[in-house]
Amino acid sequence: MRTRDMVLVIPCSGVGKVHGLISRESAYLVTDELAPEDTDVVCLALLVREDEETLAKVRACPCITIDGCAKACAQRNVEIAGGQVAKAFQVAKALGSHRGIQPGTGSDLTEEGWAVSREIAEAVAEDAVRLCQGEEVA
Amino acid sequence: MNYAILACTGLDKPEGSVAREVAIRLAETTGAKIICPVALNRTPARYKRALAENRLIVVDGCATKCASKLAAATGTKVAQKVLVSDVVKAAGSALDPGLRLGPGALELARKMADGISENEAFTPKKTRRAGEAPAEMEFEAASDHVVVVHDKYEFRIPATGYYFNANDVWAQVAGTRARVGISDYLQQRLTDITYVDPPEIGATVAQFDELGAIESTKAAFDVISPVSGVVVRVNEAVADAPESINEDPYGSWIAELDLTAWDEDRALLVDGPAYAADVERKAAEE
Repeated sequence: MRTRDMVLVIPCSGVGKVHGLISRESAYLVTDELAPEDTDVVCLALLVREDEETLAKVRACPCITIDGCAKACAQRNVEIAGGQVAKAFQVAKALGSHRGIQPGTGSDLTEEGWAVSREIAEAVAEDAVRLCQGEEVA
Repeated sequence: MNYAILACTGLDKPEGSVAREVAIRLAETTGAKIICPVALNRTPARYKRALAENRLIVVDGCATKCASKLAAATGTKVAQKVLVSDVVKAAGSALDPGLRLGPGALELARKMADGISENEAFTPKKTRRAGEAPAEMEFEAASDHVVVVHDKYEFRIPATGYYFNANDVWAQVAGTRARVGISDYLQQRLTDITYVDPPEIGATVAQFDELGAIESTKAAFDVISPVSGVVVRVNEAVADAPESINEDPYGSWIAELDLTAWDEDRALLVDGPAYAADVERKAAEE
């Protein structure tokens, strides 16, 4: 049974770095393709600038963050804004389980980079659907 | 004059995607440094030097102007501002609603990047002419390695030219200068390196003082200097792409120092073959 209208997916900014690009593309895969009815993307710059509409959305909906690295800018800024991070993903950790692959650059992903992006997106989408159905995600 | 680019994150509007693409193109074609708006908001000290030493170009996606507001919050003088939505409007066209850029939007980003660089008369990335001596010539890349094999791991150690302390930090010496970085053994133990905090240029350090720090997905590590000296350069490329240490630990130096006590420092360091024996022992004890 659906108990939530929407889960927010928030990737890190990560401009010009491959970890950031994977994070962003994972988010778009979720919101465009895998779970478009259940998810929406939020711009992190708007959140850190304390845009009122963005703050209200983040405080009202469960959030799944996708960070590029251990600095965890997306996760930390959602928490600072008073939002609830239901699940936090990290591209660096995902890449850690695929040691040796060449994911691409800050502007282009290789096939291997796209595969990691999709792997993260599928996990995010699965959690988003479960959250919308009122389930907990670990 | 060098440049820094601050573009909006632009994650939820096509104008933002164009702003981000403009920043990446400018960085690729001119060598300008990209400033991450979110990191700037959270840890402005990280960009203090870049903003002080470079002229700042700000690229906003929409009228919310997050990037401009962040620049204002840091008190940084802006050399040039561009608003993507104004450019689109002036062109009498509209962007496709999707967040992934199509050919038209990519062409717009290319034109905008070219226009900005023409207005600012960027100095293109320096390319070396045939026969011209490379700037890094005095620090030669390691060509011959000792390899320590332990279980499924292989640890590479340059056979010559590098000196190591017990903290797995190396120094490569050329004349009166040394570059400092971490060993292959240490980078494999740390796993994916995600952040490098280089020392301040001008800092004076003694042997075994801290010389910046590194964070990975697994641990944080203080870089313990193998040499005494004054920091004259830090490797911005490594700070921008910390993962390069995982990929090339002996080419990815962190800081360069003017040496002040090399003869004394050398006595407390080991060369490559001796360090290989240390690594073999450390790996066996793990």
